[in-house]
Amino acid sequence: MTPPASVPVLSAEGLSVSFDGRTALSNVSLELPRGRIVSIIGPSGCGKTTLLRCFNRMNELVEGAHTAGAVRFEGFDLYAAHVDPVEVRRQIGMVFQQPTPFPKSVFDNVAFGPRASGFKGDLHALVEEVLSSAGLWPEVAAELDAPALALSAGQQQRLCIARTLAVKPSVLLMDEPTSALDPTATARIEALVHSLKGTYTVVIATHDLQQAARLSDLTAFLDGGDLVEYGPTETLFTNPRDPRTESYLTGRAR
Amino acid sequence: MIFLRYHGKVGTACAVGAWTATAGLILLAGFLAVRGWGVLDPAFFLSSPSRDPGRAGIGPALAGTLWLALLTVAFALPVGVGAAVYLEEYAPKNRWATFGESVVVSLAGVPSVVYGVAGLAVFVRAMGAGRSILAGGLTLAVLALPVVIATSREAIRSVPDGLRRAAYGLGATRWQVLRHQILPAAAPGIATGSCLAFTRAVGEAAPLLVIGAASFVTFAPQGPGDPLISLPTRIFAWTTHAQPEFGALAAGAAIALLLLLLAANLAVLAARRRMRRAYL
Repeated sequence: MTPPASVPVLSAEGLSVSFDGRTALSNVSLELPRGRIVSIIGPSGCGKTTLLRCFNRMNELVEGAHTAGAVRFEGFDLYAAHVDPVEVRRQIGMVFQQPTPFPKSVFDNVAFGPRASGFKGDLHALVEEVLSSAGLWPEVAAELDAPALALSAGQQQRLCIARTLAVKPSVLLMDEPTSALDPTATARIEALVHSLKGTYTVVIATHDLQQAARLSDLTAFLDGGDLVEYGPTETLFTNPRDPRTESYLTGRAR
Repeated sequence: MIFLRYHGKVGTACAVGAWTATAGLILLAGFLAVRGWGVLDPAFFLSSPSRDPGRAGIGPALAGTLWLALLTVAFALPVGVGAAVYLEEYAPKNRWATFGESVVVSLAGVPSVVYGVAGLAVFVRAMGAGRSILAGGLTLAVLALPVVIATSREAIRSVPDGLRRAAYGLGATRWQVLRHQILPAAAPGIATGSCLAFTRAVGEAAPLLVIGAASFVTFAPQGPGDPLISLPTRIFAWTTHAQPEFGALAAGAAIALLLLLLAANLAVLAARRRMRRAYL
């Protein structure tokens, strides 16, 4: 039974994160609706990456990280004592800023996640399916055994997206997925993200304001670890409530 | 000629140093070859030591060294890599970890003869292994261990963090990340560093002399329980004889030892290349 659309897929309540006592995120609360694209914008060091990593418990891989508050996925507390972070990361996938293909073949890259979680079905069919979803299949179908590091940066990033989809997550977290790519590769990734809308809930941290405006239904603006404003992308961009949002969007120094 | 090209003052000084070292090595090898070439025939590699230098050979000593090498690698590699993995991936980074690290680093600088004394007390006597190949292999393993740990740690540390994050992000467990990402990526570095440690250990005579290597064994060891003999201690034994014929035997045995270690290094180099190619 799928929960009604009104229940948010992910929500944060009073979420604060610090690293070795240095606050990175303070008292953030927001709800992410199902099947939508949500972008997180804000200046460098504002906590975009930290917020993303709260959603799949990646922050705890960093020594000295401390998380307070609650993160709920389908209503369940992700940080409850009995929750296994490995299971969380199979439900909530992540794509990183730098394309990080494993030094293995294209096929093995995609197959890594399913193999790790003990996938029993037809691995070849799954690999073809997710590579097609990522728009990479026509380019690599003939050379699945070729090393992934031989692909172009844009192809590598699409491979990383395909690899994440192969674990069958319901949420996709993307941490500035196009910031290391050229405009053509960026356009392809954006088209891909757009095509995932509806099937997946996508949270994308970006410093490219146009990208946020083009892609997302909702936008959150973070500054200095505070959630300054969160709402429909169009409203936030055309009619920001908070003067801090306005000055960031117009590029004015404060 | 390439070594006369002008590199600037510092470059020239370095070039002179490099060529001096190279010349020294060539001279050493040449000296050994001239001294020992005459004794190098198939019988030399197979026959036992003898009071008659014309019939003496390195058969048992060579077999002993091969046994020692096998045991040293079998003990020190899993323990060393395991310790490195623990220290890098599992142990909390606190004062104890720093302390442990400095202990390992200082152990790497302890003279090999000291390991011999410790091996005599622990493996030969307390453990009751006697003056056997096993006791020798364990002593050499302990001797090699600090360098294996240090180089393995370095290799594991140089695995890009992005690789770890990506694997964790796909829902891999800690063991899966270690087994399928970190260890394969670190393997070439671990192999290179460990190979250096092992060739150094296997070429050691001093610790084996301390724990009591037999000087005159006429049969090849069949297993770890047999009396401890090795090429380096055989070389040492022959150099203590007065007659020049035994000097030639020592030089011949030294050539054999060098060739053995060279072959081991080349094998690791080839394996490393294969790993690198698979890695790309």
